[in-house]
This record gives sequence, C-alpha cells and structure tokens, in this order.
Amino acid sequence: MTKSNNSPSTDGTSTKANRQTSFASSTLKLLMGYAKPHTLAFVGVAICALLGISAELLQPLIVQIAIDDHLAKGEGGSSLIRLGIFYLGIAIVSFIFTYLQNNLLQYAGQSIIARIRKDLFGHISKMSMSFFDRTHSGSLVTNVSNDTETISQFFTQVLLSLVRDGMMLILIIVLMFSLDPQLAAFSMLILPVIFVVAALFRSYLRSTYQQARSRLSRLIAFTAENLSGMGLIQSFRQEDEQLGRFTEQNRKYWDANLKQIRSNVLFNRTFDILGNAALVLMVWLGGRAVLGQSMEVGVLYAFVSYIRQFFQPINQITMQWNTFQSTTVAVERIQRVLQTQPNVGEPLDTERVSLDKTALRGDVDFRNVTFGYRPDRPVLKSLDLHIQSGEMIGVVGTTGAGKSTLISLLNRFYDVNQGSIEIDGTDIRKFSQSDLHAAVGLIQQDPYLFAGSIIDNVRLFREDITREQVIEACRFVGAHPMILRLPSGYDTHLSERGSGLSAGERQLISFARILVFRPKILILDEATANLDSETEKLVQQALASVSKGRTTIVIAHRLSTIMHADRILVMQNGELTEQGTHAQLLASGGHYADLYRHARQSGREQLPS
Amino acid sequence: MKGKELLKDYVFAHIPGYAVAVLLIVVANVVQSALPLVLGRFTDDLQAGSLNYDLVSSFALLLLGIGITYGVLFGLGQYQVMRLGRRFEFEVRQKLFSKFSTLSEHFFSKQGTGKLLSYVTNDVQSVRESISNGVTQTTNAVVLLLSCIVMMVIGDIPLSLILICISPLILIPLIVVRIGPQIRKRSMNVQESLAGMTESAEEQFGGIRVTKTFGTEQIAGRRFGEKVDLIRSAQLFLVRLSSLFQAVIPFLGALSLVLALLLGGTQTLNGTITLGSFVSLTLYMRIIVGPLQQIGNVINMMQRSGASLERVNRLMNEEPDVQNEENAQILDKPQEIRFEHLTFSYPGSAEPALKELDFTIAPGQTIGIVGRTGSGKTTLVKLLMRIYEPPRGSLFFGYTDIRDLTLESLRERVAYVPQDGFLFSTTIRDNIAFSDREAPIEKVETGAKHAMIYDNISRFPEGFDTQLGERGVTLSGGQRQRTSLARGLTKKAQLLILDDSMSAVDAVTETGILDNLIQERHGKTTLIISHRISAVKHADEIIVLSEGQIVQRGTHEELLRREGAYAIMHRLQEEGLRHDEIE
Repeated sequence: MTKSNNSPSTDGTSTKANRQTSFASSTLKLLMGYAKPHTLAFVGVAICALLGISAELLQPLIVQIAIDDHLAKGEGGSSLIRLGIFYLGIAIVSFIFTYLQNNLLQYAGQSIIARIRKDLFGHISKMSMSFFDRTHSGSLVTNVSNDTETISQFFTQVLLSLVRDGMMLILIIVLMFSLDPQLAAFSMLILPVIFVVAALFRSYLRSTYQQARSRLSRLIAFTAENLSGMGLIQSFRQEDEQLGRFTEQNRKYWDANLKQIRSNVLFNRTFDILGNAALVLMVWLGGRAVLGQSMEVGVLYAFVSYIRQFFQPINQITMQWNTFQSTTVAVERIQRVLQTQPNVGEPLDTERVSLDKTALRGDVDFRNVTFGYRPDRPVLKSLDLHIQSGEMIGVVGTTGAGKSTLISLLNRFYDVNQGSIEIDGTDIRKFSQSDLHAAVGLIQQDPYLFAGSIIDNVRLFREDITREQVIEACRFVGAHPMILRLPSGYDTHLSERGSGLSAGERQLISFARILVFRPKILILDEATANLDSETEKLVQQALASVSKGRTTIVIAHRLSTIMHADRILVMQNGELTEQGTHAQLLASGGHYADLYRHARQSGREQLPS
Repeated sequence: MKGKELLKDYVFAHIPGYAVAVLLIVVANVVQSALPLVLGRFTDDLQAGSLNYDLVSSFALLLLGIGITYGVLFGLGQYQVMRLGRRFEFEVRQKLFSKFSTLSEHFFSKQGTGKLLSYVTNDVQSVRESISNGVTQTTNAVVLLLSCIVMMVIGDIPLSLILICISPLILIPLIVVRIGPQIRKRSMNVQESLAGMTESAEEQFGGIRVTKTFGTEQIAGRRFGEKVDLIRSAQLFLVRLSSLFQAVIPFLGALSLVLALLLGGTQTLNGTITLGSFVSLTLYMRIIVGPLQQIGNVINMMQRSGASLERVNRLMNEEPDVQNEENAQILDKPQEIRFEHLTFSYPGSAEPALKELDFTIAPGQTIGIVGRTGSGKTTLVKLLMRIYEPPRGSLFFGYTDIRDLTLESLRERVAYVPQDGFLFSTTIRDNIAFSDREAPIEKVETGAKHAMIYDNISRFPEGFDTQLGERGVTLSGGQRQRTSLARGLTKKAQLLILDDSMSAVDAVTETGILDNLIQERHGKTTLIISHRISAVKHADEIIVLSEGQIVQRGTHEELLRREGAYAIMHRLQEEGLRHDEIE
C-alpha cells in the first residue's frame, strides 16, 4: 500500500533517537498550537494557583511568627488576634482561588480537547477510502477517544501539577532560605533523596500496575469468551477443564495483585519513614542550633512543617511523569493520523469541472486503465470498457479477478496508474469528490445502519429531505410493509447491529437511500450475497425498480443475480475476457459457460441447463 | 438477612488474620499519635533551656523510633488487610465462574455478557475495596482520632480547647458523605458521555463508506461534534462540584488552625497551656484531617458495595434452570429418540416455538431438518441437548423421559456443531480436541481431515498449535465453521447435531464434507439442520418445519414429487430457471 504521503517524521530512515526528540518537541508544538487561543486562561490558572496555595504555604510561617514574636515573648494579645484574622483571610482567598483555578483549567482543557477531537474526526473523514481499507476502524476510534482523553489528562493533571506543585516546592525553598539559610541548605540534601526514591519507585509501581492490568484484562477476556461459549462448554462437558484454566488466570492475577500491594505498601511506608527521618534531621540540627542561640524556636517549628510539606508536591510531580509519557505517545499517534494526507486529491480550481446532476447522462468509460495497489503488481491491465447510459451490466469472475477494483476506481477510492476513467466524457479526476460521490451510488454486501430512526437512516440525517420523500422511496423499493410491521414504524430506532432487521431488510433500506439521493450511476457490490432465497427475491424486485433510468453495474458471484443483465462481463486476472448476454456467453462455451456448469453441478444454485 | 452471607463467611473464616491486622494498625496509630506530643515536650524543654546536645540527640532518636515503628507496623497491617481483600476477590471469582458453568442459556440470554462480566469485575472489586479500605481506614481513623485526643489530654491541653479546635474538622466526614455520592454521579455522567462519544466514533467510522459514497461527511461531523460537546459540559458540571470539595477540606483545616492560633495562643499567653502544648495542638489538627476524610469515604464505599454484595449473593443463590432430577438415570446405550406431541414455548413467551411435534429417530439414521429462519429448527436442538427443558412426557430416549436422564450422560453422548462456528482463543488443536484435551494428535488430524480443514491448518507455520483469537490468527467464517465441525466430529458421539454448520462453506467443500460424513457416521445417528437443500438431500428422512410445526416429511425424492413447502423452497433456489423458461 502506498504511504508516500506520510510526513518525514514517520520515515523509516531517521534514527530512533532522532524520532524521539522530534516527537517530544512536536508533542509540545501540537499542544501549544491548540493551547494558544487560551493563553489568557492559562495565565489566569497560574495566578489562581499561586493564590490557591497561599494558605498552605504560609501556615507554618504564621505559626512561626505567632510563636517567636508573641507566645515566646509572652506579649501582643491584639496583634495575635490580627494574625489570626489575617490567616483566616488567606484561607478564604485560598478557598476561592483553588475553586476558580480548577474550573478555569478544566474549561480551557476541555475546550482544547473538544477542538482536537472535532479536528481529528474531520480530518479522518476526509481521508480516501484506501486509508480505511488499511486502517482498522478500532484504532481510529482509539485515537479519537482514548488518545485524546490522555491529552485531556495532560492539561488537567500534568500541567496543573507542574504549575501548582512546582510553585509550591520553589516557594517552600525560598521561604526556608529566608528563615534560616544554613538549615535550609542542610534540608536541600534531602531533596534529591526524595526525588530519587520517588522516581525509582514510580517506574517499579508502574510496571507492577501494568502487569496487574494486563492480567486482569486477560482474565476478563477469558471469562467473556467462556460466557459466550458456555453452551458449548456444557454440551462438551468441559466445565471442570475450563474452571481449571480460569483458576490459572485468576491465580496469575492474584499474584500480580500481591506484587502490586507489596510495592504500594513499601513505597508509601518508605516515603512515610523518609518524611519522619527528615523531620528528625530538622529536630536534631535545629535543636542544636536553638541551643547555640543561633535560631528561634518558631523557626524550627516552621522548618519541621515545611520539610513535611516537601513530600507531597514531589510525589505528585513524579506521578505526573507517567502521564506525561503516555501523553507523548498519544500525541504521536494523533499526529500520525493528522499528518496523513488523503491519497486522492481534489482537482485544482482551474481544472475543476462541475457536475450537474440533472443534466448527467450516465455514460461510463474506462479508457486503457492500468492499476495495481502496488505499482509492480497490476490488478487491472489496459482495461477498456464502455458503458452506455441506462445500461445494466453484470460482472462475474473469480476472487481476485479485479471486479471490486473496478468499482473502487470508479468511485475514486484510488486513482488509476495509467489511462483514465470518464463519466459523460469527462475525466473523473476533474470532478470534486463530493460531486462524483453524489453521481455514483454504491450498495455493498453488508448494508450499514447508523444509530437512529429508519427515516434518518434512509436520508442519512439530512434534514432537507422530507419524511414524505423517505416514505415514498421505501414504498417504491417494497420496504414499506416491512417497516410498518416494526413496533414504531418509520421511527423505529435502529443500531449498528441492525436491531432485529434481517440482512435482506437492511438491504432494502440501503436501496431506499439510493432513491432518495438519486445517483445517476448505481453500483451493487455483492449486494445480494448472504440473503436467503425469499428475501433475495424481494431485493431483486427492488433492484429492478431502482435500476430503471440508471446506469447499473452489478457484481455478484451468484450467477442467478446477473443472468438477466443487458451485458455480462467476465473478468479473469484483471482482464476482460468475455462479454455478451447470458445466451451469447453460454453459446460461446468460454469461462462463463464453465462457471455456469460448475455452479449447477455443485447443487449450490439450482440453475437451468 | 441472607444477602450478606458471602462476606460474613469469608470474614469469619479469616478472623485471626483480620485480628492481627487490626492490632497492627491500632498499635501503629497509637505510636504515631505520640509524635506531636514528643515534639511539644521538645519545644517546652528547648524553651525552658533544660536541654543539652545529648538530650536533643535522644529526642531525635525517639522521634526516629516512632517514625520507623509506625511505618513498619502500619505497613504490615495494611499489607495483611489488602492481601485478605484480594484473597476474597480471588475466591469469589472462583465461585462465580463455577456458578456460571451450572447456569443455562436462558439465564445468560436474560442477563447479557456485559452484565455478567461486571459481577466478576466491578462488583467483586467494590466489595473487596469496602472490606480492605473499610477495615484499614475505619480502624485508622477511629484509633488515630481517639489516641490523638487522649494524647492531647495527656499533654495537658484542656478538653474544651481541643473540642473547639476540632469542631470545623467534624464537618469533613459530613461533607464527604453528602457531596461524595453527587460527585460520583456526575463523574459517572462523564464516563457515560465518553462512552457515548466512543460509540459514536465506532458507528461513524464503521459507516464511513456509506457516509463517503453519499457525501454526507459534514453531517457525520456535526453528529460526532454533538457528542464531543456533551463530554465538555459533563466535565464542567463535574468540576464545579469536585473543585468545591477539593477546596473546602483544606479550608476547614485552616479554620481549625485559626481557632488553635487564637484560642490556643491566648491560653498560652495566659499561661494555661505551655508553648509546647500549643505546638502539639497545631500538629494534631493537621494529622486529624486525613482520617476524618477517610471516614466519609468509607461510608460512601460501604453504601455502594452493599448493592454489589447483594447482586453477587443473589447470583450465587440462583437455581439453575436445568439440573438433574433426583434418581436420574444414566443414558448408557444408543436409543431411539421419540418426540411425542411435543409443544414448547420459551419462558415468558406466549407463542409456542414448537407445536405438536411427533416423530421418531431410529438409532443410526440421518435426519435432515429444513425450514425458514424462525421455523423452530434450532429450538428443537436446544431441547435435545436440554439447553432448555422440554415439557415432561414429550421427549424420550427409548422409554426414558429425557428429563429423567443425567445431564452428564446425555451430553456425553451428543456432539453439537453450532451455527456460528464459535471457537475459543486457544490453539487449534485444543479447540478440535475440546471433548478430550489429552487426545493424541492423530485423532485431531483425522477430525480435521473429515471436516476438510486439514490442508488449511497445515499451511499455518505452527500447524495445529496455531493460536486463535485476539492474540493469534483470525480464521475466515468458513474456516471457523469447519474447525468447529472437526471439534464435533472428534467427539465421535452417538448423536451428532449439525445446526446449519456449513452455511459459510463453499459448494465444492460442502460436497466433500457430506461424503465424509456419510462414511464416518455410518451406524450412528446424525441430525442435519440447514436452510440449504444441498445439505440434507442424502438424509434418510427430511423433516420440513414451518412456524414450529412439521409440514412435510419424507426423502428428497418423495418431497420433490409432492407439491408443497419443500418443492417451493427448491424452486425458490432455482429462481433463474423460471425466467429462463419463460424466455
């Protein structure tokens, strides 16, 4: 598959280290780009955070002043009260600004994430069909939901922690130095110890956590599968055997849990003991300093408090490192999607030919078309095919003969390598894609239904199409009686899985779509496979009415579906080997005649001899 | 009440374990609560000037001792409680899984896999959390609070002063209990809106072909955008409350400190308390905030887990729909299978799925059953396997009512090949040898050959040891069906039931499989259900079902000769023929 349009950063030739740095910087670049319109909000958050931490930050200092200036000296009743009221004021300010800061940050963060999600979705829906062929839709869903959610955590957690905890840490250090530079210098010795312990433990905690997670998800997957297959387990009497396997999974999870508990308890208690050790150090050093009269009691109190406050922000910041790492990965994935350009481009304005749907005749010409998904392996070779307006064409051939490729090219999911495809004599590359898609309708094997009413499924949520138009279309394809039988008629809510509609009934709805959207050229790609005989009959009738006045191309491996076409094309290895009516082809005794005989003999299809 | 027995049994069985844990936590907290007291003494002595360098060192050592003792004891207690909690989780999961394997399809169809999984994950987890955290945090909070108050009193702080300073903190658990559930509700709302967006993305990307071919990308974008905006507003709604909560607890902490400063300070100035007592008072106020918050959390958790516990208990007490009767007999030899005026309705359905079924399958016969979707073919199989219980006196093996047979012996003698070709995520070999995992590879290979899947499997690099499923190879629909068929054939059971199990197999292969089947099943009973006539042509007798009733029976040739449902079906599959005749 062609990936030539990808950015140089995904180019395999650049070294891994290079890639990582370029991703880390491009992570920031992308996030900064989205954050820019909210600069003011982020400045506001920083100010709020500063005011929000003030109460916690100043508390030891205030007690220190109370002790040293008043209590130790035994004086100053009224100024002590003033101090108390001052602290009350700070507490209120802290309360208000913490609240504001959280709301403001969440507002900015959520607006950014919403923007990213919409942009991402918009970008993905612009991609050409080949992109969806090679990209699993599950991974796109992950991009849009999980990856963006990780980024959301970056804004609401990582950023907040960096600002709030970072400021807290710095200001504590500043306050300590202003109180007593010597003791402050000593306590700085503890800082790296805390950081190292926290960082080491973090990565270990993360690995035990991930191990437990992955074992849990395996346990869940195992259970889910066994629940779905319980009937089989019971009918093969494998209950004990499966319980044994479940126990194995359950025990693995339990082992991982114990490991996780051990590491958690160890980490928290080590941190606790470390905190107390730091306190002891302060008491010991500070106590000696007070004895030597170089320090006041209150200052010692403040140090003892501050040293304990050290731990919280450091713990928080190291915790964010993990989130930051996941964010980089998430942004990288999103960026890869955003940087992928559609393989099929829009025509230049100067070349664009607008397609007037009402004046369209519906002639289709393949002129000397050569195409391969990989240029060295052509699937279609110098194909020439001319279809007249209103003609009904049947296409048969073995798997891999190039039938579906023909359709993909006509829809411009891919561009031809050589030659051209024309509609009414104009190269389809000169139409805008929306014009082209409006002119060419496609019905596929497994009709897709959206979550919504039948009305909305037929008109694809386009509100300019009226309910009456939809009902008329449904009548026309013969879906009307079936729809009326549903509990809420046309307002019955459908879902992806079809909500109780059979494959044939779903197919009828997709036929009604065609009538509502009125494309001049209609393509059916195995649209009648997988239907039971009775529904197939209904669908065949619908097809007959829908194909009137349209150029219709029908691809089918069931010969009964295409036997009555105006012209049948037989494709083999990317070439058109035979064409003609059913009778002509049978008479000529070629590949078609072979296929026909085989289908009859297998008894799979009851066909006339 | 019966609902609590699961938890009660567990806790009672582990009383010594819990007692040790609680003891450890209690001692740890009592030790910890001495810390501010010691610091207060230290301040007083320092202030009084009665200290020397040695005494400072011994104070430091004492504090260090307290710190380490607390850390170690509390860590051990916490570990013990958490371990017991996880053990509970482990054991309940085992019980749940065993329970699941006794329950019938009817139960599963009522509940849905997602709901059943949440028993194993969310419910078990929430009960575990409530016992782990419940024990640790309640003990923690209560003991710490009490011993702090005791210590303060020992430290000569007047009780009235203590109570006044604590009073704002008492609000904390009340606020937690009040706001906690609301925050939870709002955050569930966020989760739901996130799930809604994921669902919308899945839907839109799944239908992208339709969207693109009809050129409605704009509309798709708009619909998706609506879901995105919902998340934003749900998040903002949540943060309005949660940030209030986050801000109010430190605020109450600060408030009690203001009180300590004003009242404690004044009393220090009066000489009612010493400076050291003042210091320890402020330190105690800080220590207590955490435990009080935890008490609130525990109360909230208990409420939530109560519902979970009850759900799990209810499931454990669920009576299986299908179970052995007393004095059930063993099915020990091939018997004829007799349907005697069998009429059956699914539980809760008024309309019978099968009506007045009356026929006999002699041992060794091959029976074909055809009919449209919903005609009752699969229901018939479910009754034969006792996935649902047929009414008494309507289905017999020989002269024994099927309901008087043991489930084990019945299912031992039946091999079933379902329509969907369900396979487990394990190796291909393990799947085929499902009825006997120790079966030699030759037996597995023979089964695969008969089901005409052998060549496909040998082409995989790892052959029969190829892993299937999410972390392995994905088979095509036809390959899945054939592997599932090999599984059924390998069981070599007296009765083989094929429930439309070749619908995704191509015509040539189907013919081959049917040939193998005729050879392999010679002398054994085979029931083939199909909507395709080609699969049942060779049967000794073909039964045509329509709306739960037998409308026709006979051999292929007989049925073709008669005008009726079978002949119509046959012709419908020949639609092309009639057109051609007209032309």
